[in-house]
Amino acid sequence: MDLYKFKYTFKNRLNFIFSGLIFLFFLLLIKFFYLQVIRFDNYSSLAKSNSLKIIPIAPIRGQILDRHGEILAENKLIYTLEIDPKKKMDLNKVKQQLSNIVKITKYDIKRYKKTLSESYYSSTLPIKTNITDIQLSNFIANQYKYPDIYLKQKFSRSYPKGKSGAHFIGYLNRINQTDIRRLKKLDKFGSYIGLDHIGKTGIEYFYEDRLHGQPGYKTIEVNAKNHVIRTVKTIEPKHGEDILLNIDYKIQKIAEKAFGKYKGAMVALDPDNGEVLAYVSQPSFNSNLFINGIDETNWRRLNNSIHKPLINRVVSGLYPPGSTLKPFVALAALENDIRRPPFSIIDKGFYNMPNQSKTFSDWKKTGHGEVDLIKAIIVSCDTFFYGLGIELGIPKLNNVLKRFGFGEKTNIDMPNEKRGLIASAEWKKEKYKKKWYQGETAITAIGQGYTQTTPIQLALATAKLINPNNNLRPHLLKESNTSSHMKSKQIDLIEKQIDDLELIKNAMSLVTKEGGTAAFLGRNTSYDISAKTGTAQVFGLKKDEIYDESKLPDKLKDHALFIAFAPSENPRLVIAIVVENGGHGGSTAGPIAKKVFDAYLNGIN
Amino acid sequence: MNKLSFDNFFKNIDRILIALIVSLLLIGLITLASASQQNTLLLGTQIINILVGMILLIFLSNIDPKRFLFYAPYLYIASLALLVLVAYFGFESHGAKRWINILFFNLQPSEIVKITIPLTLAWLYHRFQNNINYKIHTMAFVILAIPCVMILKQPDLGTTILIGSAGSVIIFLAGLSLKFMIVSSFSFLIALPYLWSTLHLYQQNRILSLIDPGRDPLGTGYHSIQSMIAIGSGGFLGKGWSYGGQTQLDFLPETSTDFIFSVYGEEFGFLGIVGIFVIYFLILYRCVDMAQKMQNTFSRLTAASLVFTLFIASFVNIAMVGGLLPIVGAPLPFISYGGTSMVVSLTMIGIIMSLHSHKSLIAN
Repeated sequence: MDLYKFKYTFKNRLNFIFSGLIFLFFLLLIKFFYLQVIRFDNYSSLAKSNSLKIIPIAPIRGQILDRHGEILAENKLIYTLEIDPKKKMDLNKVKQQLSNIVKITKYDIKRYKKTLSESYYSSTLPIKTNITDIQLSNFIANQYKYPDIYLKQKFSRSYPKGKSGAHFIGYLNRINQTDIRRLKKLDKFGSYIGLDHIGKTGIEYFYEDRLHGQPGYKTIEVNAKNHVIRTVKTIEPKHGEDILLNIDYKIQKIAEKAFGKYKGAMVALDPDNGEVLAYVSQPSFNSNLFINGIDETNWRRLNNSIHKPLINRVVSGLYPPGSTLKPFVALAALENDIRRPPFSIIDKGFYNMPNQSKTFSDWKKTGHGEVDLIKAIIVSCDTFFYGLGIELGIPKLNNVLKRFGFGEKTNIDMPNEKRGLIASAEWKKEKYKKKWYQGETAITAIGQGYTQTTPIQLALATAKLINPNNNLRPHLLKESNTSSHMKSKQIDLIEKQIDDLELIKNAMSLVTKEGGTAAFLGRNTSYDISAKTGTAQVFGLKKDEIYDESKLPDKLKDHALFIAFAPSENPRLVIAIVVENGGHGGSTAGPIAKKVFDAYLNGIN
Repeated sequence: MNKLSFDNFFKNIDRILIALIVSLLLIGLITLASASQQNTLLLGTQIINILVGMILLIFLSNIDPKRFLFYAPYLYIASLALLVLVAYFGFESHGAKRWINILFFNLQPSEIVKITIPLTLAWLYHRFQNNINYKIHTMAFVILAIPCVMILKQPDLGTTILIGSAGSVIIFLAGLSLKFMIVSSFSFLIALPYLWSTLHLYQQNRILSLIDPGRDPLGTGYHSIQSMIAIGSGGFLGKGWSYGGQTQLDFLPETSTDFIFSVYGEEFGFLGIVGIFVIYFLILYRCVDMAQKMQNTFSRLTAASLVFTLFIASFVNIAMVGGLLPIVGAPLPFISYGGTSMVVSLTMIGIIMSLHSHKSLIAN
């Protein structure tokens, strides 16, 4: 290649490169024109959202208090150490890093993973909750070493009463995917931004909307390192309402103590207005375990226990009412003008089914002798009620039972309430495709058979004997204005019905007198108690087998039931009790009721 | 006498080119003041960088090009030695081993290679200018490939591409046959999958994130997106000096160095970008004009290659912040904060001025 040609080639090629560079810069100019002129609006709004962050401010959840202001659920200031799941940190490294300050247990890591899998918000998640003051000061002193661990100060729910009243108070738990779907469906999801807990059971669940309030927002300007530069705007949160309950915690405590180690349920109502004064479900659990996600060991212990501590027995426990149903069956007879005193029978200890060879025995082998309707309630004569049932028939019986709320929800302000069951021929046909036998009518009349009730139903039905107001509804929430219409005993009954009720109540008042099934309760009292005892069979005895309570293992023992109100004149308190495997109703459930009545009527010393 | 020697001192400085360069340096300082949030220490250091570079520029403009020609192969070998030193004694930063510590400052030998490669290749073609054939081209390629491979291993893809293309430009200007270029670009395309596999994962990710910056907005695409938001939100007129919310709020990384052009774009807008491009065009035009008028092979090739290096570096940086090229971590010559980049860029201009003002000293 000669030099002239070289120079020529160089000139051309350099011009080519020159043009190429001009072209490249022209491309850049087009790109910048596109970014800054054509897409300006888009990038401008992106830039704004980039530096402005909206931070939700969580409202403070309302407290739950008893009728005298005793705190049942409160908020405690706690400190947590949190990490940002987006940073995908090695948890073992975090554990090691923090080992000088706080021990991260296997359980903490498990809980963190569980929370992570359930959490929706992309915020930080706690790796250690509720650190102690010493751990807190150690962390603060060394905070510079842990740029990726955030110290958060928050209010945590706390249940100062622990196991006491756990079922009706309920508990909070972290919001999970199921809750989110539900909240989205209800269009309430927005008011949960920034909150990570929600009521799961009891009052915490039922009055969630009132308790949780509305979150506020803070608009802040941040840099890319998430450092706050300034606050642009603040909208204060609306804190949750405090919930005042009708529960009288002193009575509650006495009732729980009286229950001792028995399993079962007790509910005490004011018959005037349906206010629930005590609400016991035993065995219980410590609500505090649930707040930040219950650990597996505790969960398994509670969930797999044969004693089923997690079941809210007052509204979800289904029991055959046993003889506690008899006053209502008797009332049905009176309303249908059968077996009205002075009608009586001679009880020899068994009942012969008409046109059949089948017999049903009384709980008392020797029989009760001459028995009328009043005595049949006082001594709980089965023989009398077998015949009454057969004579009355299921449809007429069920009419009255329905009016007293059996087989229907009481609509108490508690979640998971069961309907219970009042059986009929139609029901049996639909459910089992079998026909109804007359013998089933007989045992239904003494509260056995298919009938199932919840303790709250028993309490409400008893209250309706005193206050036959169709609007009577048991409720835990103390409402200042709505109970007035219940107080006016708006009874739309005819005089005869009132007389019938008086007759039944009179019979119940004699149950605690000498000769009654709960006579011991009537001794040494300054007030009269009206009651009805009941025993519900847990398992069926084989023919010719004799029920001997002392020889049976506990779990096969009969359930003891008890309904009562006191004083007999102008009753102020209604109680329904179920003691599971408590044997005979009067002897185990009665004393519990007595203690509650004493406390309520005589005052607590 | 004093006055005369002072005049002599500047006699080889091209007045037009130096005016353009100084205006670019001033724009850089103004932008840096905003990007660093008026960090006086940083600004002071950058002014010292500029002064050191300027002294070198003036010094080099007075050097006889014959000396460049004479020292070129030795400088090349010295720069290779420095690269070896980096590989064994260099220190790591940001996951790459690019620097060696010499007394009181950190030296990045790959920056020196940016100068020694054009000089050496120009020297080669100058020496064999009467007999340029495929053997010479092959030699040129080998001379180019050795430092490229070493720098790629550091790893520093950005600088490798820059040096590789600057060297290739010399081979191209020296008359490599078009036929050969077509064949080799085809073979390059075929070899592409293999070359891809030799790239580090982060390099692959950077290229992929260029194709779709949204694929990992908080990962490799993050800087690209943030940079485009900053520039785009600047609009036609810009947000005004020190009012760039994106850059002031630290959404952008490395605003003083690699992403300084985002700050400029956000604060001075499209109008500002047109303005700076006019300066770029004038510098390029002036330099190419100077190169075209040079009288010998060594000068022409060296000058052309150095100009190309400066402009391709500028292009890569601006295209990177504009989201047209992957984030390779290359500074913007004359604008970005950083001693090495500043000194090397001004050195290049100094060499070009020397070659320009000593046209006839090396006879062909």
